[in-house]
Amino acid sequence: MSTAALQPVLARPIRRSVRRIGLSAELLPWLYILPAVLAFGVWIYEPLIRAFMLSFYEWNMLPFSPQKWVGTQNYSNIFALQKLWQALGNTAIYVVGLLPMSVAIPLAVAIFTHDLKGRWRNFYRALIFVPMIIAPVVAAAVWRWLLDPQHGILNLALQGLGIAPIDFLGDPNFAIWTIILITGWKLIGFATLILSAANANINPSLIEAARMDGASSWEIVRDIRLPLLSSTALFLVMMTILLGAQWSFTYINVLTAGGPLGSTTNIYYLLWDFGFSSMSVGWSSAAAVVLFVGFSVIAFGLFRMIERYSFYDN
Amino acid sequence: MANLQIANARKSYDNKQVLHGIDLHIEDGTFLVIVGPSGCGKSTLLRMIAGLEDITDGTISIDDEVVNDLEPSARGCAMVFQNYALYPHMSVEQNIGYPLKIAGVSKPERARKVAEAAALLELGDYLDRRPAQLSGGQRQRVAMGRAIVREPRLFLFDEPLSNLDAKLRVQMRIEIKRLHRRLSATSVFVTHDQVEAMTLADKLVVMNAGKVEQVGTPGEIYRAPASAFVAGFLGAPAMNFLPGKVLQQGNLHILPNTEIAVHSQELHQWTGREITIGIRPESLLLGKPSAEGIPAHVDLIEELGGSRVAYCRTDGPEIAVVMHGDLTVREGDRVSIGLLPEHLHFFEKTNGQRLGGGQASQQAQASRAMHVAFN
Ligand SMILES: Nc1ncnc2c1ncn2[C@@H]1O[C@H](COP(=O)(O)OP(=O)(O)O)[C@@H](O)[C@H]1O
Ligand SMILES: [Mg+2]
Repeated sequence: MSTAALQPVLARPIRRSVRRIGLSAELLPWLYILPAVLAFGVWIYEPLIRAFMLSFYEWNMLPFSPQKWVGTQNYSNIFALQKLWQALGNTAIYVVGLLPMSVAIPLAVAIFTHDLKGRWRNFYRALIFVPMIIAPVVAAAVWRWLLDPQHGILNLALQGLGIAPIDFLGDPNFAIWTIILITGWKLIGFATLILSAANANINPSLIEAARMDGASSWEIVRDIRLPLLSSTALFLVMMTILLGAQWSFTYINVLTAGGPLGSTTNIYYLLWDFGFSSMSVGWSSAAAVVLFVGFSVIAFGLFRMIERYSFYDN
Repeated sequence: MANLQIANARKSYDNKQVLHGIDLHIEDGTFLVIVGPSGCGKSTLLRMIAGLEDITDGTISIDDEVVNDLEPSARGCAMVFQNYALYPHMSVEQNIGYPLKIAGVSKPERARKVAEAAALLELGDYLDRRPAQLSGGQRQRVAMGRAIVREPRLFLFDEPLSNLDAKLRVQMRIEIKRLHRRLSATSVFVTHDQVEAMTLADKLVVMNAGKVEQVGTPGEIYRAPASAFVAGFLGAPAMNFLPGKVLQQGNLHILPNTEIAVHSQELHQWTGREITIGIRPESLLLGKPSAEGIPAHVDLIEELGGSRVAYCRTDGPEIAVVMHGDLTVREGDRVSIGLLPEHLHFFEKTNGQRLGGGQASQQAQASRAMHVAFN
């Protein structure tokens, strides 16, 4: 069998069959994105719609128990819960408390370590990036030891200084800030990495031009670096607002379970708690829908802002 | 405006020396062009003048003040970068006005000066745009505007035209020349483009491998290149180099088999030695095959519109000849290449240094003498 004879035979029917599927020129592009659409549909949109529907039902998640239509009652119920308002308030505290560690400090570190050389560069990198690569549950366990009110090294140190031991995870005044600090400690490396990359991407001749124009180091940071890093910083702000509650989930779950007295719970932990502890799927779904709508609005606004502060240098 | 003095300037990166003792003097108001092949150290030298690069050894003085240890901003230089280095987040107006803002110039004063510079550069209609919304030529002008607005003592240009297309490059070249005539500010312009160098320079510096090869006016350097490197670098098509040997009575044997009478005094002391003979393609003449001249056949003809270049095979190296007028020579024709003794340049075979004066260099000396007389 000669390949020369084979080729037209193979080529023609395929081309014809594509044509027969018809309107192929219009359809073909959709075919290409079909896998992605399917994945999005199955793992994101379908659950979203399912959650939206479930938020109008009462159900305990047992496969054979009936789902009972309750209208908007789940919503009125959860909004009547003091717990929800506490979680929403805490979510705001988490976000605001995380921002210095997810944006401000990394921004400063990225800018001020930009010119570091050799050994110091490696040193600071190790310092900053090590927390990032520790598994969250392991980190949580280690922090529990360190923070133990009786035997934790931190409290031993405080005692050495003559300060009464603090129950970092058990005292409602301290617990949320402890969780925020641990979450931030874990986050700082990632944020620094992103901002360092953005900072290193700034065309060095812009900095030289500014030096020639007479700008001092601080003026260069203020007038050149910060404006050019603003879109990346805003991106991190957005990530913190949208995901801050999720990032702290592991530490809440392992260290405080939302306590004491709900002082460390947040909206994300609460909806998990509704669903998987209280087994009330309707409440959990309603909380998820509220979360989704609220964060969508915020994300939309932030995206607009990022767009506005992106400067393309070519 | 200022004069600039560079004395024995050296630069090393990690013990690798890239500039080997540069000496230059630039008078007030001069447009100095530094030309040389890529990697010869032009940018490094310019950045040392600007203060963006440390000076390993030697001194750089502006207006007789050593600036080695001064910050870039304290040296009073403005620089135009190859990639323009416009601030992408600022409008044209803010870009041009930035040095003034830093200098603490009041807002109305700043606006006035920016408007003035923008008018000079025909940027008036674009003041509100961002650099990304400008064409290459407009960006180039904004970069110039940012440089002129602060009235620096010294303008530094690092290949500012090499990112432009050919037509725009010529246009901007003329504009820069015009601008210099108007502002008559001392300028140092770095380029690897010999046409740019020849057309812009009041004074031309040819650099090679971290050294200055020659300093002079474009005309002087073209007529009397100080070395085979300079001769080959300036001029297009490039100068032809032929191996030769000096015979008795100033006669010259062009290898392998041409002999001409030169009657050059300078060549006497080189009698019996081998040298390199340089001759520009436009100084050669093509003729019918004859006993005179170098026998050759035309291998290839390049049409340049105004003129044509014939690349000729000889028994020695290939020789390029610019053909004038309507000479009817075709590829493959047998020809004889005629040369006039007064158009020959002689170089030492070993180190490429120019030998003696030659007619061209006498002219150069004459013009230098006149320069002295005028001062
Ligand atoms: N930052 C640097 N580190 C090490 N070598 C450098 C550096 N900058 C330039 N060089 C070297 O110095 C030489 C001159 O470079 P440069 O001044 O940029 O040349 P030009 O501008 O003439 O093309 C080159 O060999 C280059 O490799
Ligand atoms: Mg260069």
